[in-house]
Amino acid sequence: MTPLDIVLLVAVLLLGVAFYGLLITRNLIKMVVVLQLLVKGVVLALVLAGNVGGRAALGHSIAVTVIVADTVVAVVALALAVQVRLRFGTLDIPGISSLKG
Amino acid sequence: MAAWLSLSLILIPWLGALLVWRTGDAAPTRQHALAVAFSLAAGVAALVLVPLASPLVVFTLPMGAFFGELTLVSDGLSTVLAAIACMVGALAVIFSVDYMRGETQLGRYYTFVLLFIGAMCGLVLSGSLLFLFFFWEITALCSYALISFYNDDPRAVAGGVKALIITQVGGIGLLAGALAVFASTGSYQIADLLAKAPQIAPGLMSVVAFGFLAAAAAKSAQFPFHTWLPDAMEAPTPVSALIHAATMVNAGVYLLARFYPAFAPIPGWTFAVMLVGLASALITAFMALTAMDLKRALAYSTVSQLGYMVYAIGAGGVFASQFHLLSHAVFKALLFLAAGAVIHGVGTRDMRQMGGLGARMPLVRVVFVIGALALAGLPFFNGFWSKELILEEGLKHTPWWAYGGMLLGAGLTAFYTLRMTWMVFFGAARSERHAHDAGMAMKVALVALAAGTLLTWLAVGGFSGLMEESLPYHQIHALGLPGLVEEILLAPATYGALGVMALGLALGWLLRGRAGVSPPALVEGLSRTSFGFDWLNGHTARGVHHLAALLQKTQTGQMNWNLFGIMAALAAVLLVLWWSAP
Repeated sequence: MTPLDIVLLVAVLLLGVAFYGLLITRNLIKMVVVLQLLVKGVVLALVLAGNVGGRAALGHSIAVTVIVADTVVAVVALALAVQVRLRFGTLDIPGISSLKG
Repeated sequence: MAAWLSLSLILIPWLGALLVWRTGDAAPTRQHALAVAFSLAAGVAALVLVPLASPLVVFTLPMGAFFGELTLVSDGLSTVLAAIACMVGALAVIFSVDYMRGETQLGRYYTFVLLFIGAMCGLVLSGSLLFLFFFWEITALCSYALISFYNDDPRAVAGGVKALIITQVGGIGLLAGALAVFASTGSYQIADLLAKAPQIAPGLMSVVAFGFLAAAAAKSAQFPFHTWLPDAMEAPTPVSALIHAATMVNAGVYLLARFYPAFAPIPGWTFAVMLVGLASALITAFMALTAMDLKRALAYSTVSQLGYMVYAIGAGGVFASQFHLLSHAVFKALLFLAAGAVIHGVGTRDMRQMGGLGARMPLVRVVFVIGALALAGLPFFNGFWSKELILEEGLKHTPWWAYGGMLLGAGLTAFYTLRMTWMVFFGAARSERHAHDAGMAMKVALVALAAGTLLTWLAVGGFSGLMEESLPYHQIHALGLPGLVEEILLAPATYGALGVMALGLALGWLLRGRAGVSPPALVEGLSRTSFGFDWLNGHTARGVHHLAALLQKTQTGQMNWNLFGIMAALAAVLLVLWWSAP
């Protein structure tokens, strides 16, 4: 098992854990955490792809861009979670299903 | 010069729309004045543009790799249609000064009317299929907004939504066709499509051709989409005259005429076009026989006359169809506006409550009779020349039963026209309603259109000459005025057709006393249900509702599922990209 394989395995593992988490998480704050896990898997895959493809600098720069964008997303998501807590009095996802068709 | 004029036909009305909207409903006099000024300016620009027609692209604006170029082409086909849109538009706006006086939301009204006029000019002038589609949809939006103008009336809202949905179904055909053309030729330009048509795979080309036929049928309210136009009559009458008689409903006929050279070689296409025209012309002529609502009767006759134009294209008579389009736009706008003056004066659309109105509105009666005679196709009004030209093309190029059907339609047209005119203006008054005469602005618009009804056929030489010179693929032969007169008056078929019309008129005269009486139950039932097509529409709508109720179950409102759905879709896209990578 080469180091590349190990990194790939970790990235896939992170994605798998995050997908599973998306399905079972019931708390909005935890949902943000799970999304962070997902993005970290993606960042790892980006860096890996840059190295394998021979364009390491491109992979790194895109990874940094994703981290920045993702931080913004996390901040906005947490702010929304605060608002949801104020409006609905709960962070429990099944309790805030007003989008049900 | 032509570039600026073409562009101004779109921008002048749109600028006017913006200004009327910004003026606000607190200053109705300024709104009236602005709308009249801008629509008249567009009308003048359109008339100046007509003699400058050429097959060349006069204006190009690159819109990026995805949208291609926005091009404007002012050839014989497009300039004449733009002139009709702007001139009838200006007259409808002038008419509205009286008709809409006292309405509280004039800004909304005039904004959409002016937006429509500009979009209609864009539709016909566009040399790019994609932008033709965009303008096509803007006209549909304006049509919807104006049908539903009286938005506290549930029937007006329902009529608008029905029109929007049915024309959207056709719009899908147009968009699919445009994208298929782009996939095959790498260009949205109509000129490229017409030039490269023989090299495009026949299978793909027939998809495009039949997609466009569906789009045209939906827009022009042709069979089997003819049910929306009668329900669109809830719109203010000047809008019915402009959009639902003289311009937007012609867009379908324009589309078929524009692409005729590319689609005609496709097996079955011209036959299908002919059948659509024949079915529309006959079905709605029957329905017009029993209509008691003045505007609905006119709407049925619009579908029927549009059927004649579509039939003419199926018979290969592109010029005949456009000539009838011109005649019909003028005399049907006249009929609608005259009907609007009557409705405005009497306060009802029900013909059973009219009768004997000629004494109280003599000018309206005179112009309505002029329009009615042109609709019936009697010599020597503009409708006579163009309808006979279509029937002659039909006799030469379509089977005998189709020609016979169109002859029958001409007889029915004469019959229902006489019935309608008699019920409104002649005989004894059937109600105690107080009727007041039309206002000055109304009379100006009516007299101008009546003059047009008497005179537009004289322009046949210039019109056909323009089309011959500026449409390189259509192989249209110029037909001078002496040529037209000779061709129509010396053909025996003309006198046969006139005989059928005379029969229709005679029948109408004999039955004139029974005009207000309900027709036989079978005829009445068939007309009321649009020959069963309203039933079909209803069931389609219910089917969609049912499907939506099934799909509703997937909308759990649970964030977990939504997020998972987004991620799964992303993964699916990535997988597709991965597989399709070379």
